[in-house]
Amino acid sequence: MAVLNPIPADSDQQMIRAPKPKQFKNAKKRRRLYGSLAVGLLSIYAILTLIPFYALAIRSTVPTKESTDLHFWIPEADDVNLDAQVGNLAVFYNLDLTDLKRDLGIPVDDFLGARVSLRDLSETYDIPEEDISDYFSGFYTYNGWRTILTDSQFVGALLRTLFITLVSLIGLTLLSIMTGYGLAGLHRRDQRIVYKIYLLQMVIPAMLVLLPQFILIQWFSKLVPGFADPGFTRAAVQLGSIVAINIKGTAFSVMVFTAFITGLPKDLEDSAMLDGASRLGYVRHILIPLLKVPTVGLIVVQLPLIYNQFLEPFVYLDPDSSTLLPYIQTTVGQFSTNFQVIYAAILSSVIPLVAVYLAFRKLFVQGVLAGAVKG
Amino acid sequence: MVSGSTSTRNARSMGTTKAETDDSTAGKASGLARRRIIEDWMFISPQLFLFVLLTLVPFIVAFPILFTDMSGFNDPQVSGVGFDNFTAIFDNASVRADYFPALKRTLVFVGLNYLLVYVFGLSLALLMFEFGVRKALFTVIYMPLMLSGLAVGYLAVMLFSQETGNVNLLLMDLGLISKPIDLYSSGTSRFVLPLMVGWRYAGFNMSIFLVGLLAIPTDTIEASIVDGANYWQRLTRIYFPQMWPSFIIATTMALIGAFSVFDELVAMGALYVNPEAKFLSILFFTYGFQLDRLALGMTLAVVTSVPLMAVGLVLLRLQRKVQY
Repeated sequence: MAVLNPIPADSDQQMIRAPKPKQFKNAKKRRRLYGSLAVGLLSIYAILTLIPFYALAIRSTVPTKESTDLHFWIPEADDVNLDAQVGNLAVFYNLDLTDLKRDLGIPVDDFLGARVSLRDLSETYDIPEEDISDYFSGFYTYNGWRTILTDSQFVGALLRTLFITLVSLIGLTLLSIMTGYGLAGLHRRDQRIVYKIYLLQMVIPAMLVLLPQFILIQWFSKLVPGFADPGFTRAAVQLGSIVAINIKGTAFSVMVFTAFITGLPKDLEDSAMLDGASRLGYVRHILIPLLKVPTVGLIVVQLPLIYNQFLEPFVYLDPDSSTLLPYIQTTVGQFSTNFQVIYAAILSSVIPLVAVYLAFRKLFVQGVLAGAVKG
Repeated sequence: MVSGSTSTRNARSMGTTKAETDDSTAGKASGLARRRIIEDWMFISPQLFLFVLLTLVPFIVAFPILFTDMSGFNDPQVSGVGFDNFTAIFDNASVRADYFPALKRTLVFVGLNYLLVYVFGLSLALLMFEFGVRKALFTVIYMPLMLSGLAVGYLAVMLFSQETGNVNLLLMDLGLISKPIDLYSSGTSRFVLPLMVGWRYAGFNMSIFLVGLLAIPTDTIEASIVDGANYWQRLTRIYFPQMWPSFIIATTMALIGAFSVFDELVAMGALYVNPEAKFLSILFFTYGFQLDRLALGMTLAVVTSVPLMAVGLVLLRLQRKVQY
């Protein structure tokens, strides 16, 4: 202030200036207090945010019959009732009897009646009762996980999800870079019109497009020979239509790359052209390596959207070539009252993406804050 | 965007000076320009083809169907019915009984959800902005966005269902409530769903506002502090006027996104057992895929979306105005 005011300080200003150090000190103290208060509030919110994740992990181990009690930790396994009949256990725990025989050392060819109790087994085959209890204690807590992970379709569904996510992200990035380069600068009218067409995507509600899009894609799919019969062609066409929907571009993807490429110095392209590069060569060798920031920005926003896509796969894919989430929804439908299985299934779909997120958390934070600037 | 418009101007002025100074190469230059346009279109067209085919052509496909009685995707006999589908919203008792409650639920949800965009997003962003972006806290707050809508719906069931919900059990144990909250009652599901969705997008909305805040030139903020503005004045006079793009983006996304909320509802049993979760999105879906009322469902979707899209277009225009 003193620099800005060349007039020598008169008595008035001195009076104002005199108490300043104290005020300043107070303000600093107050600011520090507010600061710790804010960090405290944010920390409380962060802990509240984590609670549902924790509760989900615990609930995936809580047997359904205990679900009306509150659990803060993985429940202790109840000893299995030795009078329980094998048939009932098999239904309840989704048990494969061949595995049971092998694991307990019962000859595989022996026939186990459904009404044989565990006590009978222990007596007939001379197995200590503790061994049987131990064998079943794992089922008590981890029955949900066993059911999901040993389900024949789980791995396939997970792999299809990973495949679609990977192909869609790569395709979307490359196509959006091309679009962004073609539109860069928005010099001409045609470029601005195309840009506005993409902006429309932001205001078109997903539910409005769903039914007519389905009609259209069915119509195209039927043109492919072999689509009517279940088999590889049908699954490939269905997965392909999901990928096509994912890579068609969004307002965000086009904005990110158009803005970033527009911001690059024009000399860059000119000098590459002078050196005899074609435009495709320029994109491949010079442009793409420069686009790390917008690419990360696009991927961190699109990855959760594509991995967690439910509606389109639910509608377009057959159950036996389904991705993870529709598979889980149908599986959960079968076990509609077995909460242990439901929550284990949900958690199994959450873990892969959360793991990726935590591993690349720096990129996510950077990408979100940088990518949004351009949008 | 600012950089885009300036470089447009630069390029134009450069083009004119070139043409003025060197007449002999003018014809060659226009040939080059034409070639450049063609090449630009070769870069643009693959994605544009997919985009137009999958987002805009469906509207052309849909339009004639709105005036027919097409019941399903493989309906062999389709005949025109004029405007019956449009008037059915008011004449047909069963459609009315489906549509208006769903519309009301959706609107209540969109409203509450929009409120929570600010309650969660803006307040978290302001806290982060004033006291420094803490990466660890940001990471945790952003984490629910990694959940699928389906998972969020099942979490709502897990936390709030009547007999097994963790929140219910906890509150009962603590003696804070005498009767458990019923997730499937109309009152509860009205608040639980926006709460869960607000929680899911809290980090995302926070980052939208945070980006807006970080873009404010620091000297205006410092000047206001030196001039002795209190925090409220700083918010309303300095922050909010310069954060308009963030507000508009958040509004557009919250409106259009909340209107199409679907996955969470499916998890809450909307397709089968829970009538309180039957929102418009569920209605369109069941009309198309389950109830053989395809043309009717599409008509309802169009009628409901037109005002929404009009609002969205106004917001888009506003956003460009603010940005330029």
